[in-house]
Amino acid sequence: MSTNEHQFLLKALEEGLRLDGRKPMQMRPLNIEVGPDYGQMLVTLGDAKVVVRISSEIVTPYEDRPFEGIFQVSSELDGMGHPSFNEASHRQEEEVMLSRLIEKAIRRSNALDLESLCIIAGQKCWSVRADVHIIDYDGNMTDIVCIGVIAGLLHFKKPDISIRNGTVILHDMSEREPVPLSVLHIPICVTFQIYSSGSMEDNVKGDGREFVIVDATLKEEALTQGTITLTLNSNKELCQMSKSGGINLEVDEILSLTNEAQIIVDDFTKYIKDTIKKDEELRVNPLQKELQVVNSRE
Amino acid sequence: MTESLIVPGDRLDIKSENIILGPGFYVDPKTDEILPTNAGILEVSQKQNKTVYVIDSKSKTYIPKTNDFVIGIITGTFGELYKVGLSEFTQAAQMSVYAFPNASKKNRPHLKVGDVIYARVLSAERDIEVELECIDPTTGKEGGFGQLEDGYLFTVNLAYARYLLFNENAEILTELVKKCKFELAVGCNGRIWIKSETVKTTITCVKIIEESQNWSKQDIPKKLKEVWAAFN
Amino acid sequence: MVLPEYQTSLLNKVDGSSTISIGEVKVICSVTGPIEAKPRQELPTQCAIEVNIRPEVGVGSTREKNMEDKLRVVLNGTINKFQYPRQLIQVHLHIISKSQATENNLKDLHACINGAYLALIDANISLLSSFLSTYAVINDDRLIFNPTSEQIQSSISHHLVCFDIKSGRADELLFVDSVGEFTEGELMTVLDQSIEEIESMNKIVRKTITEKVSRDYIWKY
Repeated sequence: MSTNEHQFLLKALEEGLRLDGRKPMQMRPLNIEVGPDYGQMLVTLGDAKVVVRISSEIVTPYEDRPFEGIFQVSSELDGMGHPSFNEASHRQEEEVMLSRLIEKAIRRSNALDLESLCIIAGQKCWSVRADVHIIDYDGNMTDIVCIGVIAGLLHFKKPDISIRNGTVILHDMSEREPVPLSVLHIPICVTFQIYSSGSMEDNVKGDGREFVIVDATLKEEALTQGTITLTLNSNKELCQMSKSGGINLEVDEILSLTNEAQIIVDDFTKYIKDTIKKDEELRVNPLQKELQVVNSRE
Repeated sequence: MTESLIVPGDRLDIKSENIILGPGFYVDPKTDEILPTNAGILEVSQKQNKTVYVIDSKSKTYIPKTNDFVIGIITGTFGELYKVGLSEFTQAAQMSVYAFPNASKKNRPHLKVGDVIYARVLSAERDIEVELECIDPTTGKEGGFGQLEDGYLFTVNLAYARYLLFNENAEILTELVKKCKFELAVGCNGRIWIKSETVKTTITCVKIIEESQNWSKQDIPKKLKEVWAAFN
Repeated sequence: MVLPEYQTSLLNKVDGSSTISIGEVKVICSVTGPIEAKPRQELPTQCAIEVNIRPEVGVGSTREKNMEDKLRVVLNGTINKFQYPRQLIQVHLHIISKSQATENNLKDLHACINGAYLALIDANISLLSSFLSTYAVINDDRLIFNPTSEQIQSSISHHLVCFDIKSGRADELLFVDSVGEFTEGELMTVLDQSIEEIESMNKIVRKTITEKVSRDYIWKY
């Protein structure tokens, strides 16, 4: 990025202005488009887009965890998201950061009840896999990937099973209603970028004036001096917090950011639930879907 | 002037005499057949007894052509050469430190990595690096080229950038001038540099010019008003 | 006939993109180029073409590698490579939902070829000709274009045919891939009928491109 852009953006942020006209604490519009299969969706946050696909299969559980199923998240960046990700070095760094945060936010906060995935202890369990492909990269990947994974898990249904004489019988979706996953809570990440008007020295001393924005775009992210990701759910529980970069934040600042994040989390949780509910209704009542298609054509 | 949609592989009835072929064509070296290679609008015009054929098509990645005006970002300095990026992910062009008016060993510009310059493509040969200069060849003077200080840099698609560059009276600019004062430089490589009095005005202008790529001419006054109101 | 749905320019960071859905198969395609090639890819007189296909679940396997190779054959014959010496053109495809028939990957490949064509047009890459493909099966001595999964599963032979298109006519055969048992005569019938199929498909695709170009040039009028 050119020096001109860099300086201009910092000056604008200092004045509380953003290039897309947003306020510092305003998220980009979130949109979730549900695909024809369970657990398949396209999540859009402003210009950023990810494709989510949840899949499941029956496997043998890990030896040290015989009563638990397996849950894996695989998030991928490549040249489709942004041509700079053709360079493996650039990609790896981002991918590692992303997968660690998602691991902390969703897996370790026990959003998915792993014990419910157990079929026969020590022998058979469900393995659930979330594939997230970032097809359009425009900053703030953590938040959008997190929303994608959790919305995918909420929407996904695995085929029903029954056990007869120790063998597992898999029922086709047309034969028996598929079963949703047991999602215990809905953690949502909110990432803030922190900038400082002062020099590096001022930052260490805590003299510089800080300004914080939420949901940074790619350009805004490029000049960040510090990042903080808060993961909360609608029960007002803090699931995870991670901060990187060299700017000090006072405790009361973090608390006020948590309050900001809570508003966003509540808003998004409602949107995700509504979207999935609406899709569910359409699946139950296909006639309504046909009517909707007619409406959208008009 | 006649216009129509062309896609690659369409056969055109073009005689290979008395013509000038613009971008979007390829002459098959074996058969001498003229093939359109890009999807876009065919524009036919007359110039000095010759028929000019051009396929106007939108693209994002810039391919340098001699005499194009471009906005570059300095990506490195090597002795007496500057490396200048013209678009992302493409090979950098080069520019001599003496490619400025009145530059000499004692009096040379001091550009740093990240600085923005307005330059002319001096040569763009197939197999060697693209070379730039900051001199107006007709006068030997600065002629508007050189470093662009402050302001903001953004990109539009190449076809739109060319349109803005060659049409000073483009509606979007004449309408925008009524709203505020600004300085503008447009490069053929799709980059636009803009500077105005306040940060807010600059942001609004950037948004308006970016969005105007998707506006039809008659919508300009209405849409411009909408965006202006939303940002101020 | 199941009409494929086409869309272009949905991604912002790449030069060209498209989505295509043919029956249950949905593919997103992006093209970036001409960009600087890595030293190992660089060719002195022409551009290198990189093709990446990502499956709906997990990472690419031999199934995708096989499709990448076939798609590269088609692209090698149609991209005007000499226009971009030492450069790289990158084609990324993501199969969002794959064919339910697991016998072969031809239906997916069919979507990939047509998706790649639209994305290349969107990225304004110089092409020697247009190209489109069709997928047909022979089922009970009947030739079926754009078959459903049930039809694919009960068919004896499968054919993917790709023609280049000059002035709206299917001109030269670029690529043909057949699986199953069939006679020479049957293959010839497939080729003959594919020409008609491709030409009628081309009319729809051309309409998509016209719409795209008029969207691109909306500021001009």
